[in-house]
Amino acid sequence: MSSPSITKETIKHLAKLSRIELTEAEEDRILKDLGNILKHFEELQSLDTKHIAPISSGMGRMNSFREDDACENTNQGGGVELFPEKEGGALKIPPVFE
Amino acid sequence: MNLKDLTIDSFHQGLKEKKFSATEITRAYLEEIKSQDKEIGAYLALRENSALEEASFVDEKIANKEEIDTLSGVPIALKDNMLIKGSVTTAGSKILETHIASYDAGVVTRLKNKHAVLLGKTNLDEFAMGSSTENSAFQKTKNPHDLERVPGGSSGGSAAAVAANMALGALGSDTGGSIREPAAFSGVVGMKPTYGTVSRSGLIAMASSLDQIGPFTKTVKDAALMYEGIRGHDSLDATSIKREYNDKPSEPDFSQIKDLTIGLPEEYFVGGLEKEVEMGLAETIKFYENAGFKIKKISLPHTRYALSCYYVIMPAEVSSNLSRLDGIRYARVPDAAKADRLLDIYLKDRGAGFGTEAKRRIILGAFVLSSGYYDAYYGKAQAVRSLITQDFTRAFDEVDVILSPVTPGPAFKLGEKTDDPLAMYLSDIFTIPVNLAGLPAISIPIKNAPKLPIGFQLIGKPFREADILGLGQYYEAY
Repeated sequence: MSSPSITKETIKHLAKLSRIELTEAEEDRILKDLGNILKHFEELQSLDTKHIAPISSGMGRMNSFREDDACENTNQGGGVELFPEKEGGALKIPPVFE
Repeated sequence: MNLKDLTIDSFHQGLKEKKFSATEITRAYLEEIKSQDKEIGAYLALRENSALEEASFVDEKIANKEEIDTLSGVPIALKDNMLIKGSVTTAGSKILETHIASYDAGVVTRLKNKHAVLLGKTNLDEFAMGSSTENSAFQKTKNPHDLERVPGGSSGGSAAAVAANMALGALGSDTGGSIREPAAFSGVVGMKPTYGTVSRSGLIAMASSLDQIGPFTKTVKDAALMYEGIRGHDSLDATSIKREYNDKPSEPDFSQIKDLTIGLPEEYFVGGLEKEVEMGLAETIKFYENAGFKIKKISLPHTRYALSCYYVIMPAEVSSNLSRLDGIRYARVPDAAKADRLLDIYLKDRGAGFGTEAKRRIILGAFVLSSGYYDAYYGKAQAVRSLITQDFTRAFDEVDVILSPVTPGPAFKLGEKTDDPLAMYLSDIFTIPVNLAGLPAISIPIKNAPKLPIGFQLIGKPFREADILGLGQYYEAY
């Protein structure tokens, strides 16, 4: 499979998926970079990996379990200490829909 | 107090023999930071009061004739992607400029339990993306050996702190070489342990299947001591390995070390290396040869695919990990303060908060994971990852440790960006495969480097840090 055609539209779409507001200049730059990088990735296609199981870690993955006991949550509320507007224990945000 | 000659080992001895107090030494390091760091820029934040408190606690324990740990009182710097509860932790990014950590990282808990002295947080490339620390949103860090050059990255601040005697040890993180490369550039020891050995809890994640925390020190023995102090299972890190560690790499048996076979991968000893690196590696190999070590040529045939493989997998995991930075949790940048819709908070916070490199990698990661491309890119890269890992497994049937360059040359100048594709390839290719395979690896300064520091790398079998630390201590001893 050769490189897919990446357009400005692709970048805009990816930016929307990633929830990042890009300037026009940033879109242009990333479009160019993405094109170059994807060309580079073509070399991966030349490798025969039909019989290779993909791995997600060099060390092999094991499930990490613990006993199904109730335990105290030690970090409740952590991470939202700086949230600007709270009301009755909830975080107040602007409308989701217009 | 001559901090240049101090090591973690000699510090611990000196404490026990009452040659000096922990408070004295901590003060000396704080003085050193005051006098040098304006030029070098290694630190983003200092913890003067709590550092002195911790030091005096250790002095009290000694006065009461209580046992102290090897790392007690040791002045340590931490890369600013490791959470210390109650402190600002920025990951070198504007998007977390005001973020206050709500819990301690696993390694921080361990260090606090041992009463190490945490001096402060060091500078890094934003979200650990980069190899020069120039991508930090806040400041540049200079190489203490030449202030016009980079210290390396992404853990440049930690490397520079140790190199300039502004910390006796430091922690960094390594995803594709971010401990080993700055160690080589800054003339210090830097080690990345086996994946799963050191807790990633509280390490602001870059690529979850590649990241590991590891030490920067002046000597290999010190690296072994720090590694022994921070390794171990952490129930808060689901990728942390449950394992009993019974070995003591800081006390190697050289008669056993002598039996290790060293492998030289032909794909790593190629043209394009700068003269100093070629000569330095040749001298290092000769050192081990003369000492009677068996040296063998090996092949890691899929080496050249490691770059593409890494640059698919890493951005994919980055885009996933950085999605939590939404202006709701942790912090919100001023640009996103007023928003009419929830969506605008996300768009503006992430648009204004992330730097160029972060945005580039998030977009690339989103692409390779997106519907229609997932199998061709991400799925393919995961299979290639298996091939690269198998290369090492096969090689380790023939040899015990692999020796290689770390970087193609010494530290480059600040602002000097190379366009030469070969140079860019070589700058990553020695370090990246190690992370893909999850192996332990260490960068050690080459003795008598002519001008700027150069490192050589030792790569070990999984959980065989004792081998690479042992070979490294042998190199230092003789």
